[in-house]
Amino acid sequence: MTITTGPITTGTTPAGMAATGMVTTGAAPAADVSAALAAYCEQRIFQPTPDVYITGNPFQRPIGPPGAGARDFSVPATEAEFLGSGQLIAGRVLCNAYESDMILLPPAGLATAKADFDLFYGDEVRRLRDVVRPGLERYAFSFLDDAVPAPQVRTLEELQEYFLTEVGAAGAPADASSGNPAVDAGAPMAGTMRLIAECGHPEEAAGLHLIQLALDALTEASAMARNLGGSYGVEQSELFKIFNDEFGYGVYGAKHSTIFKEMLASVGLRTDLHAYWNFYLPSSLVGVNYFNWLTEDHRGMFRYMAAVTYLEWLFAQGFADTGVMLRAVYGDRVDAKYCDEHAHIDVHHGRMTYENLLLGLARAHGEIVIPELVRGIEDTKLLLRLGDEDFRAQIAWADALDTYTEAGARLASAAGDDAAARTLRPGDPFSTGVRDTDTLVEVTGGEVEVHAWATEHPHRLGKGDVLLVPKSRLHGLKAASGEARVTVRTIERTSNDD
Amino acid sequence: MTRVIVMDLSRHNTVMVGHDRYFILQADGRRLLVRDYCPHRGGPLSLARRTPDGRRLSCPWHGTKVGVAAVQRTCLPMVLSGDEAVVLLPEGEDAPVSVIRKEVLANLPPDAPCADGTGGPNTRTTGAATGDAATTGTPCP
Repeated sequence: MTITTGPITTGTTPAGMAATGMVTTGAAPAADVSAALAAYCEQRIFQPTPDVYITGNPFQRPIGPPGAGARDFSVPATEAEFLGSGQLIAGRVLCNAYESDMILLPPAGLATAKADFDLFYGDEVRRLRDVVRPGLERYAFSFLDDAVPAPQVRTLEELQEYFLTEVGAAGAPADASSGNPAVDAGAPMAGTMRLIAECGHPEEAAGLHLIQLALDALTEASAMARNLGGSYGVEQSELFKIFNDEFGYGVYGAKHSTIFKEMLASVGLRTDLHAYWNFYLPSSLVGVNYFNWLTEDHRGMFRYMAAVTYLEWLFAQGFADTGVMLRAVYGDRVDAKYCDEHAHIDVHHGRMTYENLLLGLARAHGEIVIPELVRGIEDTKLLLRLGDEDFRAQIAWADALDTYTEAGARLASAAGDDAAARTLRPGDPFSTGVRDTDTLVEVTGGEVEVHAWATEHPHRLGKGDVLLVPKSRLHGLKAASGEARVTVRTIERTSNDD
Repeated sequence: MTRVIVMDLSRHNTVMVGHDRYFILQADGRRLLVRDYCPHRGGPLSLARRTPDGRRLSCPWHGTKVGVAAVQRTCLPMVLSGDEAVVLLPEGEDAPVSVIRKEVLANLPPDAPCADGTGGPNTRTTGAATGDAATTGTPCP
């Protein structure tokens, strides 16, 4: 099994359970929502800056290029649009919205970011957030209603069998006791972990994987924290024990987010929250937002508990695999204690969540909640699969930009006549994005850096170069000369064009 | 310099020495002041329940089973006279000391019900082992 969507590092409405209201409708007139979204995106802290990497300020979170806030999100994205530009923009806005109820402070002190702190948590941004969020949740998550099957699982016994079958199929079977996820620390690298290690730029690919994990890991268990309050029986105490592990028993050095930072630092990656904001893939944002959504809206609690059970179970082997990959890529210099910790503690968490959250809730509340529990697992399965596909496609493209530049040259004459010209200068605002069609980026003057993953050596295009950018591939362009001119044209390809 | 405290076991069952906690464990007809710390992740063994054979404590955090004999070996030197206990604290520490009374589940019989009447610790779970960790059990709240 592999973990790729990073965060999910951590919900059709089945009959019987009132989850039809999971996506809130009709909160505000459409015109008000559009105006609020535009106003939200125009906030200073959500505008791009010249920086590729954002350090020292957790409130700076560029949503996208100019015009992002004018997009219409009234029609939900389909599964086919999962990696589209709409999901990327919605994902960034929702991430900002959910995290604005977490406490975030820059490690070096607030002095230089106090004005942004005041804005991020201020009345106006929170008011706008509350107007736009329901519509964006509907846009981002409604596709799950159609895309996720509803297995006929109705009884406790069926739930047990279903879960163990699912985790087995995902490569994480139970051990001989049937109560713990089995872990083979010596398993050979496979799947996405192997693709990372064997690609032409393994450190960049591994870095991109860590960056996707960082989206959740640097605030690890903050979504879980939303489910700690209230009064819901022994399941509440069981979740708290898991949270206690995640937060290192109150010891900062043992907190999972702390040891994750140590892992990042050991391989030369920045540890500031969202330093790599520009490199979160759409699938990673949707995945993390899904868990924030389910914990922000307590109607999602059963889905959440099942989703977290499925993930905790898979993480035991998944992080053993990740540790093997990181050591293969970075050698002795990587501090992979974070992976070792999860490969161990998630054996416990897998068992604890399975026995006492998933089955515990089914026992306590009966068959009425089982469809929602199953839904959480099915949602997570789909999000993991889509995330894995997104990540693999991104590293395959970023690893072969020379090849895609050659392909671009071959295809240049076949491009559409919809050229959009831009002039870039080094100090211009920088942001990444995805396009909803294949495009050709042609440099008509100067030199341009293409940022397809976080690297100190981005791909460089000179005058006359043409880069093929497949649909949904995250990238950003930055001038590498005093001025550069690019044109972007759509291209229709056949599968043989690569 | 060795520090000594005197505690009344009819009123108190727990000693805090700085961040370290000790509780009165009853085993083999004796009362011992043992460290309230699971060797796996530091879970509170005072809130552990006995395994059915009474020989091990099942930590409430992760279900790690710790032998009662091993826990007994963590005891502080103590001289008992009735309920009056004279305890020698660990040397080399000048951490603040306090004696308190708190809930201790580790001295209950394995099948004793919880205070809420929901039954013993293993009423909901099936056994599952990983290394030394076994049945999670749902600890009595």
